Amino acid sequence: MSMEFEKETLEILSKKVDNGQLSRRRFTQIAAMLIGGAPLALKAKGAWAAANELVFVNWGGDAMTAYDEAYGKAFATEAGVTVKQDGSGPTEGAIAAQVESGKPSWDIVDADPFSAQALGKKGLMEPIDYAIVDKSKFRPGFGWEYAASTYFFSYIIAYDASKFGDKVPTGMADFFDVEKFPGKRSLYKWGAGMWEAALLADGVAPDKLYPLDLKRAHDKIAAFKDNVVSYWGGGAESQSVLLNGEVSMALIWSTRAGLIEKDSGGSIKFIWDQGLISPGAMAVLKGNPGGKENAMKFIASAQDPKKQLVMFEKLGQGPANPAADALVPADQKRLNPVDPENMGKQIALDMAWYETNYGPALDEYTKIIAA
Amino acid sequence: MRSDYLKPALLLGPLMLFLLLAYAIPFLGVVRWSVTLPELGVSNYGRAVTDPLIISVFIRTFRICFFVTVLAVAMAYMIALVWVRGSPTQRLIAELCILIPFWISVLTRAFGWVALLSNRGLINTWLTQLGVIAEPLTMVRNELGVVLGMTHFLIPFAVFPIASAMRSLDERVLLAARGMGASRMRTFWQIFLPMTAPGILGAAIMVFVFSLGFFITPAILGGGRSVMAAELIYLRLFQSPDWGLGAAISVLMMLIVGLLLALLMRYAKPGGMVK
Repeated sequence: MSMEFEKETLEILSKKVDNGQLSRRRFTQIAAMLIGGAPLALKAKGAWAAANELVFVNWGGDAMTAYDEAYGKAFATEAGVTVKQDGSGPTEGAIAAQVESGKPSWDIVDADPFSAQALGKKGLMEPIDYAIVDKSKFRPGFGWEYAASTYFFSYIIAYDASKFGDKVPTGMADFFDVEKFPGKRSLYKWGAGMWEAALLADGVAPDKLYPLDLKRAHDKIAAFKDNVVSYWGGGAESQSVLLNGEVSMALIWSTRAGLIEKDSGGSIKFIWDQGLISPGAMAVLKGNPGGKENAMKFIASAQDPKKQLVMFEKLGQGPANPAADALVPADQKRLNPVDPENMGKQIALDMAWYETNYGPALDEYTKIIAA
Repeated sequence: MRSDYLKPALLLGPLMLFLLLAYAIPFLGVVRWSVTLPELGVSNYGRAVTDPLIISVFIRTFRICFFVTVLAVAMAYMIALVWVRGSPTQRLIAELCILIPFWISVLTRAFGWVALLSNRGLINTWLTQLGVIAEPLTMVRNELGVVLGMTHFLIPFAVFPIASAMRSLDERVLLAARGMGASRMRTFWQIFLPMTAPGILGAAIMVFVFSLGFFITPAILGGGRSVMAAELIYLRLFQSPDWGLGAAISVLMMLIVGLLLALLMRYAKPGGMVK
């Protein structure tokens, strides 16, 4: 083969990659075959690698296909950038490990805004470029320096109606009241939302929650411990403790509530009252391999209400863009955590508080539940 | 002489090198974290040995691992006995009992135990229907569940060293004991058991060390209340990013395991027990 032919072929192929018709990996393979060696392929890759692929890291399971359906495929067509889904779970420590390795392989993460903020202030995240991402497509108060609001979920009370007769819980006080609502309970293993629940049950007014009185919250949880049979760490676990009949009430993610209701044939129900609404966000790693600009463009493309509706349908995520509310079918509105009717009953977690207090607070919480 | 000495070294060399590269070097990085994050010094170790949570998790970890080791080794011994000395059919059954669980993933097995032991699980359902119990028994989401799940996982690992000790036993010694008029039981207790003790010890060490690192089984069957060391390290590294402390806990764990192994080797001397 002549050098000219090889160059020509590579050029055609790399255009295809640009158009999203060919993956970067496949291109590298073909290039390597053509030239019988890696150096040129690597060089070619270096020239456009940054421009043609993004790795989006989420929490795995159904999220992988949902994110691909809602955002990934469309972005490949619109912008010619392939978005690979990675379900490894971008915990704060895992993101830090990526960036500090000096050679991150992740671009965008589905992260807690407070984690992204804390990491951003340590210089590990790219600030959100609000020239590309449209702040007006967030609900007021839900855009941050290093994290862009993309969805909402809630910590809500789900209960086994078959055990309570006609009685319906109305808030956190009922959750912590085993005389009125007998049976075991399940709480979230990683603390978020649980402190607020304990304080609300203890009589703290919703608007007086922050800064959280951790001592009071932990005392309440410690006193209640004998009634807690499990601290769930993942959504599937929270579903199984309710479906197996191990608990009569649990504080779970609203994204799972509709699923449990269906799986239990309606015997497990949920309420929005005193639900603790929590934003999910996308954030970009500092020095991300796919380039900052493409990452921001991807986030901007995910602000499309129609795309967010797909996430609602697939995962029960409440849309970040208020324009999506109207698109939710009437019979599905009750499952949407940010539907005006549901949102009014809930309290939003204070990300600023979490940003500075989460680590030490979680340590204290673990001490209590695992002691 | 020289070539006899050299050959094993050559054969083992690549493995040693691989272990050094893949294990020792990253571990040195962990040691470095433990004394440099967030600042230079041994403050992480100070926190690790005074923090009541860390101490209680360590105690729980060793307690659970001790029970798991005793149970797994005792059951493995019985299975190994059937596997090595049983009739061909018995051997086949024993082999299936060892190998089938061995091939199934730890995650599947943990969920299997949940299905079996939970309130609406098989056991509780049967017991309730038979009228034995009125209220379901709590068997998972606690230490009992963790011990059961871990023991089940580790039995096959304990079977192999024990079975190998049984296989290498000189049968003539047993025949001699019987010939001298010892009963079956006496032959077992005074000859067979002591002679296979190195296998038991080897199995116990392996199971104990292996069990210390368990993560998934306690996380699923412990219900978040029976946090063990590995999960605590995960918590420090990933949930409340505090790499220095997480690294210090890891290093302490390594030191304790190393010390235990050294003690066992020193005082129990596998092989040296057979006199």
